[in-house]
Amino acid sequence: MRWLSDDKLNHLRSVVSEPDFSATKYTFVKELGRGGMGVVCLAEDRELDRLIAIKILNTPDITEDLRNRMIREAQIIARLEHPGIVPVHDAATLADGRMFYAMKYVRGSRLDEYAAQGASLRDRLRKFQAVCDAVAFAHAHGVIHRDLKPQNIMIGSFGEVLVLDWGVAKLLDREDRSYSSYRTYSNSDDTMEGAVIGTRNYMSPEQARGEVDQLDERADIYSLGAVLSFLLKDQPKVSKAAHAISSKATATSKEKRYSTASELSADIGRLLDAEPVSAYRENAFERTSRWVGKNRFLVLLVLAYLLMRIFLIFTSRR
Amino acid sequence: MDPDTDIGGPAHRFPATDHSAIINARSDDSRVRRRAFDTILASYWKPAYKYIRLKWRAGNEDAKDLTQGFFALCFEKNYFATYDARKASFQTFLRTCLDGFVANERKAGQRLKRGGDIDHLDFAEAEHEFAAHASTLSPEDYFHREWVRWMFTLAVDAFRQRCEESGRTVHFQLFERYDLSDDEVSYASLGKDFGLDTATVNNYLAAARRDFRRIVLEKLREITATEEEFRAEARSLLGVVRP
Amino acid sequence: MSKPLIGVILGAVLGAIDGLTAWFTPAVRDQLFGIVFGSTIKGIIAGVAIGFFARKFHSLPIGILFGVLVGAILAWLVAFMQGGYYFQIILPGTLVGLIVGFATQKYGNTPATAN
Repeated sequence: MRWLSDDKLNHLRSVVSEPDFSATKYTFVKELGRGGMGVVCLAEDRELDRLIAIKILNTPDITEDLRNRMIREAQIIARLEHPGIVPVHDAATLADGRMFYAMKYVRGSRLDEYAAQGASLRDRLRKFQAVCDAVAFAHAHGVIHRDLKPQNIMIGSFGEVLVLDWGVAKLLDREDRSYSSYRTYSNSDDTMEGAVIGTRNYMSPEQARGEVDQLDERADIYSLGAVLSFLLKDQPKVSKAAHAISSKATATSKEKRYSTASELSADIGRLLDAEPVSAYRENAFERTSRWVGKNRFLVLLVLAYLLMRIFLIFTSRR
Repeated sequence: MDPDTDIGGPAHRFPATDHSAIINARSDDSRVRRRAFDTILASYWKPAYKYIRLKWRAGNEDAKDLTQGFFALCFEKNYFATYDARKASFQTFLRTCLDGFVANERKAGQRLKRGGDIDHLDFAEAEHEFAAHASTLSPEDYFHREWVRWMFTLAVDAFRQRCEESGRTVHFQLFERYDLSDDEVSYASLGKDFGLDTATVNNYLAAARRDFRRIVLEKLREITATEEEFRAEARSLLGVVRP
Repeated sequence: MSKPLIGVILGAVLGAIDGLTAWFTPAVRDQLFGIVFGSTIKGIIAGVAIGFFARKFHSLPIGILFGVLVGAILAWLVAFMQGGYYFQIILPGTLVGLIVGFATQKYGNTPATAN
């Protein structure tokens, strides 16, 4: 029989591990990327004749119970209808038992790529505010993301901001819900207390400690603060107020962080409008400088008027 | 199911667990047990031989004897029926048994009696492969790697046979040229060689890969005992999760 | 704060400053109080007019132009009544109108947007 070299073997493995959509209405187009949780593919929806993104989850040994939980979770995320949350169109199982989500295919660039393209500080902050708004919406519906990072945020071709990859999202226990909180799908050793979910650089300290049951919205606030730090890095003329917002969001103790993503968004809005922010107490000089900076033109006009007045005084004396 | 592009039955899903040789190894029917043993033997003899050569540094003749002796003993004592899927994967179970067997044989220092009607295996080819392709992997990883390689080799052979039987040799030839050959080919060049348009080449190749995948998973199904083990081994075999 | 109010305050302040600079002209120094008073009233009138204009018409260039016109016309009237100092009165008066025109367009609330 023919000897299969390592290269050939790896090729065959990738050919065979390519998702088998034969029992679905999707046609595999190409792989878009791989992460710890799974692989994202571009696929064609043959019924609706459009491109979609499909995330296939690398599940551990999947039981019927876990499959049902995952589908239920997909239903909850699918109900997060917000312009900043990538909509989930479908969730089902491939022939090999792997679960997948079908999502809107977002044409554009990831937030880290967007930043690398030289976006101004103002633009970065506006995009960040949009992310906060999307996350705030999810929180209001009892869902925390748990893996917020620049790579999971897309800037679409129309400048819209979308938060992706809710694959490790957690549903918070709410009294008014008919189901209790449960551990979400994740890698095999992540469902236990003590296991770590998320991406290290953007992970809150409580997440890094594996305190899965203690996580609430403030874990996402921390991640948002880390994303803000990333956006502020290497930018010229970043104000103390901006740094203060980032520091507050990434406070080690969750009690010291913003308690909601809406608060964080509001402070960013105030920063953009040259208003005082809650995270930073200005001294008189800073307050005046900020006011002058915001009303530059008026100040210049008044100065011009006064200069003109002084000029007239001197000329009339002669 | 597209009759032009799909072979085999309409089962896109997995075969039922009664295809598992591990389960059938416990059958009361001796013919079923024999078939089950043959399936397991076919899947594991080559990686076992190479493993013995690497880990136990046995010469080729000793390794051959040890491999045959091990499987003969497995058949005689029906060791495969004692496998418990809750404790470990079948691969781990077999490798552990193999280690125990070789250690005992080394201690006993006697030459084995061959048995079990397993003289048909091509050890010369196995030896040639072992000698020609050195590895830096640990013995356990090497065993797994060689098992994966062998499973795919068997699957390629089974795929070729099925294509020949169903009169779709073109499918296999396209697959062979595009996915098995080291030559750089394009859909266009294949279309030219086979007198097909590019779209047909694309469809045939997609179908061939789909069927090949099904065969790989069928083969895997034969040597796993439970649904959970099957899925775990599938991910390992397909490189989705590291073993 | 409404736009007319911004106009009034700014017009009054700048009008008063305008009037106070008359102190540097010895010839009219003894009329300082009257000049300041008159200048402040002029500023208030200009501010009210420009402020109400800004409430109705939301256009920065047009608001500035209106402010310049109002400031210039009122200043000319004052200079005419003074019988002189046209340049010294009209130029600052025009500039005050410009400033008030700008400020009332940029700041302040219209009834629909009041907090």
